[in-house]
Amino acid sequence: MVNVQLLTQAVGELDEDRVMALLTEFVAAMPTAEEALSALNACQQGMNAVGELYETGEYFVGDLIFAGELLTKAVDLIKPVLRGEGAATIGKIVLGTVRGDIHDIGKNIFKSLVESAGFEVYDLGVDTSPEAFVAKAREVGADVVGMSGVLNLATAAMKNTVDALKAAGLRNGVKVLIGGNPVNSEVCRNVGADAFTTNAAQGVKICQGWVK
Amino acid sequence: MIIIGEKINGVIPATKQAIAERDGGYISGLAVKQAEAGANYIDVCAGTDPELEVDALQWLMGVVQDAVELPLCIDSPNPEVIARVFPLARRDGIINSVSAEGNKCGILYPLVQGTAWQVIGLTCDDRGVPGDVQTRVEIAKQLVMKAAEFGIAPDRLHIDPLVITLATDHESLLKFVAATREIKALYPPIKITSGLSNISFGMPLRRVVNQSFLTMAMFAGMDSAILDPCNQEMLATLLANEALLGRDRLCRKFANAYRSGRIGQKR
Repeated sequence: MVNVQLLTQAVGELDEDRVMALLTEFVAAMPTAEEALSALNACQQGMNAVGELYETGEYFVGDLIFAGELLTKAVDLIKPVLRGEGAATIGKIVLGTVRGDIHDIGKNIFKSLVESAGFEVYDLGVDTSPEAFVAKAREVGADVVGMSGVLNLATAAMKNTVDALKAAGLRNGVKVLIGGNPVNSEVCRNVGADAFTTNAAQGVKICQGWVK
Repeated sequence: MIIIGEKINGVIPATKQAIAERDGGYISGLAVKQAEAGANYIDVCAGTDPELEVDALQWLMGVVQDAVELPLCIDSPNPEVIARVFPLARRDGIINSVSAEGNKCGILYPLVQGTAWQVIGLTCDDRGVPGDVQTRVEIAKQLVMKAAEFGIAPDRLHIDPLVITLATDHESLLKFVAATREIKALYPPIKITSGLSNISFGMPLRRVVNQSFLTMAMFAGMDSAILDPCNQEMLATLLANEALLGRDRLCRKFANAYRSGRIGQKR
């Protein structure tokens, strides 16, 4: 198993060589999907550190973009482990950044991970209207509707979307997962979602639990 | 941008004294500081009387090479001196310098034939430093053609189109730029270099003039420079220029230099 502290530290320091070395070694040791998720979790903890260092003026915009690239590379390395042997689709997820918000880094990471875990993902992109979520969920028979957002106003759009799912008579047939900066248990309740997360790897676990 | 660290030069009074007293600690300190600041080569110039120069250079080369892993830039106006100390170099570095004066090329080019050594070529000849662009370009051509006779390709040459003091020639920078562009058009893989600080001789606020010169020269295509990488302002200007010229993706070299305190406020 990879040393999660070292991995978190290497991601936080944007030490690309070290991150890649740790993960290459990790993947070569044939880890389980569970271990892969904790490695991803460690990477994400490192990203949190990057975010904090950006806030304090230690990192700059270029470093932030680089961090995004580094995480994408890390995810690409870990992805094959997540999928394991069976390649069958285990569920369908309709995913999007909600109306009024265009942040998609977190959404894209989550998308990449759940796809690797065996979900079929219908990605509606950014600034997605409630109607678009409803239409796609109905069309494909979604198991999960995943909504992402970074701005505070995203929570209102999430609630509007859940309301639209209810109005369309779809709410009881799907699980709703919300993710991103502004979500917490209180927001989750107000929005009427089934679960929330600020961590892509944890989001994958939640979805896996729902389709078991 | 290739940085040749200039601090170990006997024309600098403190360095001169350290050489005279064979103060190895002081010299190795200069080498280490320049290496940490980002120098790619360490220039060693004894600047002593000719009869003492071989001894002094041999000592300098030993001290510097014991202190840092970087290659040397062996600096002497006397080609015979360079030829004598050359065997002491542990890595392929730069010869500083040849020119079209006397038999410099004839002595120094054979030395580096069949090696990876590079050579700085000054655009001056027995008539002195030319005041015009065309003569500089002509001398550069001579240096390149002579190098070819010894199998030295243009990519191993750093041509220094010898900038004249701005205080005495108000078009000095313009001529440097024109010469740089013409020489590069003739030999695209060739490198252009400069000693930089000569431009501001006799002026107040030399550091500002030097930094502006660095910026314009880099924009014109200068590839290497002999400068003090421990000069934080100069290094900051150089790294900002690298970023502005599209050679620093996501500005990370600049940001890393800032974070580590190599530029900006000491942290």
